[in-house]
Amino acid sequence: MTITPVNLSSSVADDEPPVSLWRDAWHRLVRNKLAVAGLAVVVLLAFVAVFGPWLTPYDFLTQDLNARNQAPSLAHLFGTDDLGRDVFSRVVYGTRTAFVVAIVVTTIAVAIGVTLGAMAGFFGGLFDRTVMWFTDMTMSVPNLLLVVVINASLKTPITAWMEARYQATLNPFYRETIWVDFLLVFGSMALISWPPYARLVRAQVLSIRGRPYVTAARALGLTNRLILMRYIVPNAIGPLIVSVSAGLGTAMVLESAFSFLGVGVNPPTPSWGNMISDGLRVWQHYPHLLAAPAAVLGLATVAFSFLGDGLNDALNPRGSK
Amino acid sequence: MAAEPLIKVENLVKHFVVRLGAFGERGATVYAVDDVNFDIFAGETLSLVGESGCGKSTTGFTLLNLQKATSGKVIFQGENIVSLDEKRMRPYRRELQIVFQDPYSTLNPRMTIGEVVGEPILFHKLATKAELPERVSRLLGDVGLPARFAQRYPHELSGGQRQRVAIARALACQPKFIVCDEAISALDVSVQAQIINLLLDLQEKYGLTYLFIAHDLAVVRHISDRVGVMYLGRLAELATREQLFSNPLHPYTKALLSAVPEADPELEKTRQRQILVGDVPSPLSPPAGCRFHTRCPIAMDKCRAVVPEWREVVTGHHVACHAVDMGTAG
Amino acid sequence: MTAPEIQKPLLDVRGLTIEIETRRGPAVIVDGINLTVGKGETVGVVGESGCGKSLTMLSLVRLLPNKIKVKGGTAEFAGRDLLRMSKSELRQVRGGKIGFVFQDPMTSLNPVMRIGDQLCEPLIYHRSMNKAEARTRAIELLRLVGIPGPEQRITAYPHELSGGMRQRVMIAMGLACDPELLIADEPTTALDVTIQAQIVDLVKDLRKKLNMSVVWITHDLALIAGLVDRVAVLYAGTVVEDAPVGELFARPTHPYTRGLLASIPKLSDERASRLSSIGGTPPEPGRRPKGCPFAPRCALAEAVCHERVPALEPVVGSNGHRVACFVAQRQMMEAA
Repeated sequence: MTITPVNLSSSVADDEPPVSLWRDAWHRLVRNKLAVAGLAVVVLLAFVAVFGPWLTPYDFLTQDLNARNQAPSLAHLFGTDDLGRDVFSRVVYGTRTAFVVAIVVTTIAVAIGVTLGAMAGFFGGLFDRTVMWFTDMTMSVPNLLLVVVINASLKTPITAWMEARYQATLNPFYRETIWVDFLLVFGSMALISWPPYARLVRAQVLSIRGRPYVTAARALGLTNRLILMRYIVPNAIGPLIVSVSAGLGTAMVLESAFSFLGVGVNPPTPSWGNMISDGLRVWQHYPHLLAAPAAVLGLATVAFSFLGDGLNDALNPRGSK
Repeated sequence: MAAEPLIKVENLVKHFVVRLGAFGERGATVYAVDDVNFDIFAGETLSLVGESGCGKSTTGFTLLNLQKATSGKVIFQGENIVSLDEKRMRPYRRELQIVFQDPYSTLNPRMTIGEVVGEPILFHKLATKAELPERVSRLLGDVGLPARFAQRYPHELSGGQRQRVAIARALACQPKFIVCDEAISALDVSVQAQIINLLLDLQEKYGLTYLFIAHDLAVVRHISDRVGVMYLGRLAELATREQLFSNPLHPYTKALLSAVPEADPELEKTRQRQILVGDVPSPLSPPAGCRFHTRCPIAMDKCRAVVPEWREVVTGHHVACHAVDMGTAG
Repeated sequence: MTAPEIQKPLLDVRGLTIEIETRRGPAVIVDGINLTVGKGETVGVVGESGCGKSLTMLSLVRLLPNKIKVKGGTAEFAGRDLLRMSKSELRQVRGGKIGFVFQDPMTSLNPVMRIGDQLCEPLIYHRSMNKAEARTRAIELLRLVGIPGPEQRITAYPHELSGGMRQRVMIAMGLACDPELLIADEPTTALDVTIQAQIVDLVKDLRKKLNMSVVWITHDLALIAGLVDRVAVLYAGTVVEDAPVGELFARPTHPYTRGLLASIPKLSDERASRLSSIGGTPPEPGRRPKGCPFAPRCALAEAVCHERVPALEPVVGSNGHRVACFVAQRQMMEAA
């Protein structure tokens, strides 16, 4: 038996260690300065969101009517608002709001989107067409309109029901209207956020299902479950990671936008959006009230955007085979 | 050659329905494989040649039950395998393997070479976990790759090396039969010869049977025992290598052979070429009668109306053409 | 059939060097290529993927992709250096004096433009024709490349034509302004063999009719055997052998050319005999080894081959046959 001598591929030196695509992607990501900067800001904001209450010198609700509308100082880093509340503490708590909303909403949206999209792509046929029709319908409704309608139609009955429960049980939990806010925000935003994930995952599954390596796995007799877990999911997850990173940023902006318009998180719970809304009324006199939340929102948006782009370049490199 | 074929393909038909219109309400049928009959004998290399869209690859896929046949039979070990569902097909999968064309997408990019080659061994319980590394390195050795490649990922290998891994994966199941679907077409010229030699070596060593699907007639002539020529979903001619290349009967085979360039300037200068006019018609609406009649230089009225019968004109030489009578073969 | 020595060649490329920018810095992908094309001559440029054959031709009309730059050399076309002429002069050459035909007619034609309009554009631009004249000429061109019913087909969009027909349209576009040189980059690789035979026949016929020079880039040695006058064999960005076609097939001298020819299955081969093959794989573009780029795969390689790059030198006692190989050159010296 003659064996033709084979050199290693000339693209890899023999002594270089094997590199998986994941590690390869990580190397590409950390070489991208903007992506690393974005990642650093995201990690910092996440840290602030988690440990914020222990970091701030003041409570975000404590009013100090003797120190209203103060300019930034050492005592109050971002100054105080018209009720004498510490703006820095409120921005920090707003970060918490933004992260909670973004993570919960994205988790729900990804769960719905991935399940529906993967099933649509895998099974095809009538199920696929129904899911896609539903997806298109949801996407065709203007986001803002949907959220306003949900708020208008559901908020009053839910609040009334909570009040009734409080009267009946005297359980103080039912007085916490903040939960209604969050519930409505989570629900309505998740409802408008899942279709892109469904579309993405469906397209991924469809394209991967047709690749020769999946056909080869079928030819080897492997079960559907093995093919799904070892072939389709690992190869579909890269674009999903990129999409989720971008989605988290988008969810934060959406939450701020809705809170700004009064259909999201309501005062006194701080949100960057309702702080910007408050600050906008007095920005000519007290610009710091607008500048602080707006700057942090801007920073967060840019950070997620850079990170998303970096992840995209790292996970889906073009031209490399 | 054994009298009893390893695989018998009888009246195999594969039609695809493509959906047209905004709601997929209109269907059109692609006649990809239409009433194809042939036998594959143990230990031989049978090639299927033809131009793109002739149905040669679909024949390979349908034969392995990777695509559901519309009708017809593929008999392997007494069982009509195209009628089996995935679960009952599984024991046969191990014995019937396939190697694909594109070396870049034939391997799962997230798995190491060792995992790729080892997976079928573990799945079909052909070895224990402890024996696996030894098995994998022996398989890699069989395809001319060093054992240390087991730790590598597909993207670290060249096209020819990936194709070797794909062959090792097919071999891992200890199959009897391998479909090579354009397995060398995407490789560089200097690498093609390596893979051809490898396939020939492995055939000798393990007594493999190949269905070799290709469009390069020079390669087909080199490695085949028998060759089938397909045109628009039908077999036009099937014969031994010698019969087909020295005495082609079907006018399409003649044109195809004459279109193949030879690496010899002197020969090319004097060679009489028969150049076909026109293009291959769409498989969505294949011509009636003989499908080749629109481009055939000797088409008669009968060819436009009646599908020519698939018959054996001399022992081992099958052809479907009205113009070929029993006398012309010999 | 080689152009007479006295006559200046139409295209004379000397020392063409092309670099690509990589993360590790610039890497040479085409290293000092010399190539001439005489008037009315057809030259085959043969090599495997990544050998730089397409980039060499694209660099002549300065259409290299980003990050790939010409670093040295000259390319005289009819006495003018293509690599140094002004943008406006270059535009006159592109599509005017040099016509291009690319491999994939589907992506090289604009899918949203009727083929007639795509054909007329260069005529209006380069030949200052008016619309009616251009249309007449476009129909003439379509007829010339053997498209049936050109008057009707002129209003078709690319997707309405078959692959072979689209390639004919590409050739018609390449020919639109009566170029002196037609550069065909793997024009039949995407086509079926019976259609390939049609296209080869068409180009053979046209170059006689129009008296133009042709450069045919391909990886298929068998294809050009009956088509070209002269062959340049490229390996990893250098010309390793350059000879009249008959000479090359009869007396291949470079080990790479010999290996390539030997690896093509021949009529006379026994069934299932082992083909002689070249071990290993070509280097990736930009990862060329030191010395002769073929040395790592070469059975004859000696110490010097891994150290220095051999120059393209004439083969003793031949007419226009040149080879870049230390071993072959030494063997010739010894034999002489």
